[in-house]
Amino acid sequence: MSEKVIETKALTVYYGKHRGIVDVDLTVEKGEVFGFLGPNGAGKTTTQRVLVDVIRPTSGEARIFGMDCREQSVAIQERIGYLPGELALYNNMRARAFFEMLEYLRAGNGHKGYWRELAGRLELDTSRKIREFSRGNKQKVGVVAAFMSRPELLILDEPTSGLDPLVQQTVLELVREAKADGRTVFFSSHILPEVQAVCDRVGIIREGRLVETERVEDLVARRMKRLSLIFPEPPPAGVFDLEGVAELERAAQGVTLEVRENLPQVLATAAQHDVSDIETHNVSLEEIFLAYYGKRNGGNDG
Amino acid sequence: MVRLIWQELKFRRNAIIGWGLGLCFFPLVYIGIYPSVADEMAGLADLEIYQAMGMSLGTFSDWIGSILILFMPLIAAIYALINGTGTLAGEEEDGRLEMIVTLPLRRWQIVIAKAIALIISTLVIFLFVSLVSAIVFLSIENQIETDLVAMDIVFAVMSAWPLVFALGMLSMFLAAFSASRRAAAMIAAAVLIVSYFGDNLANSTTALEPFEPFFIFTYLDSTGRAVVEGQQTGDVLVLLGVGVVSLLLTLFFFERRNLTVGNWPWQRARAET
Repeated sequence: MSEKVIETKALTVYYGKHRGIVDVDLTVEKGEVFGFLGPNGAGKTTTQRVLVDVIRPTSGEARIFGMDCREQSVAIQERIGYLPGELALYNNMRARAFFEMLEYLRAGNGHKGYWRELAGRLELDTSRKIREFSRGNKQKVGVVAAFMSRPELLILDEPTSGLDPLVQQTVLELVREAKADGRTVFFSSHILPEVQAVCDRVGIIREGRLVETERVEDLVARRMKRLSLIFPEPPPAGVFDLEGVAELERAAQGVTLEVRENLPQVLATAAQHDVSDIETHNVSLEEIFLAYYGKRNGGNDG
Repeated sequence: MVRLIWQELKFRRNAIIGWGLGLCFFPLVYIGIYPSVADEMAGLADLEIYQAMGMSLGTFSDWIGSILILFMPLIAAIYALINGTGTLAGEEEDGRLEMIVTLPLRRWQIVIAKAIALIISTLVIFLFVSLVSAIVFLSIENQIETDLVAMDIVFAVMSAWPLVFALGMLSMFLAAFSASRRAAAMIAAAVLIVSYFGDNLANSTTALEPFEPFFIFTYLDSTGRAVVEGQQTGDVLVLLGVGVVSLLLTLFFFERRNLTVGNWPWQRARAET
């Protein structure tokens, strides 16, 4: 039986009259890499901050390792690593002193000095003062701080933000290694190819509500298909005007469609017009994500 | 929690050294020059302008009271105010507090650790200034007429510490309550300035007498009597009480509210669009 590492039930946060998140029901299981997607202001950071007890829920509940995120925050925080989205560091400290301070404050985690290995992999010069670092190097400090205690659960808010592509790959390797160790990763990102590359499941949050939670491959396979249909004679315009179907491109002998619903009707219509060939194309997570937010033709904006 | 206290003290190390050395200006200069101005000061004892500033300069004890129990703590209170507002609201505004509250510590432990670090740092500063004061006093003792001994000077300086404790804890409370360093610092500074002048003017005009209990400086005796006999026990208890109540209120509010981490989310979303 799978073990729930994160579980929220009807989790709701309001900042006064302003909506944070509404009725978020979320489950992340042990050993899973869970990607949390959504545009700015959708509620990703709010959800993560409730989990680490920076923000208190207005209603609903949030549990990690079966423990209440507020009541048993100390026991939880001993077992998690957190990378905030708005990373703020002690600029007057050297990076080495900063990691030693965290190690000292997190006494007894049993992974003393592991930060040195992580800093080496990320090519971070720990002898320099943090204020001298570029944004990317400061982000590396945050990544090392989150991973340095080899926590059972990593909560990462846009971990590759500001990093160059090579270092992004190293961070994704760290995420994969955590998963290989049986640890759990819950992370938000705007870089959808990386989410697709490392995540087992994704949750899509929109205007504070969780609108989809699904395995990445299922989401990609089920939610949207792109078809190129080849005909001896082009079918009349508007023949594929069906609910959940968008015509992306029309050429002399072919039509390219994005299909989210009514696939049988599309195929039936194509057959009526003597379709001679059908090609299916892979659709990226990014395209699905954009479709959820109505940024493409045919998006349901809902 | 002990580790966090130690870490907080390490953060304050430079401030303790800087403020400690800076505040030694008072004993080094004002006690040091006393033999050369003693006769002049005796003639200024009754000037109203000095009374309005809470000063009484007629005798060496009065002089010590005005300089070491009034002005030095007034400046030290600015350290407590800066530190008290910066330690929660300042760190919250720049986002560093998010990292601290996600350590395996209860929020009350974080507040207590920061309060203890603030208390220890002010005590160290006061001890340092009091020792320097005693040493300067010993160097001029044979040039002046006084019954005071070096330990009287040490106790006189230390007797003003409860006022700084009260203002430090009040600043922490305002910071925890408002989550804004600027707002907390403005209110704490207003309390400091209004109660300093309010208390002194209340001694000169009956119009302000009803408000006197609300001025925190009312509970600090900076006359020569206090140098000789010490502060009134009731006054010390009031100041310690203000500090303890402020600390309890800090715990209450900090335990229950969200951290803003710079901007609230809707403010960030607005800024990003």
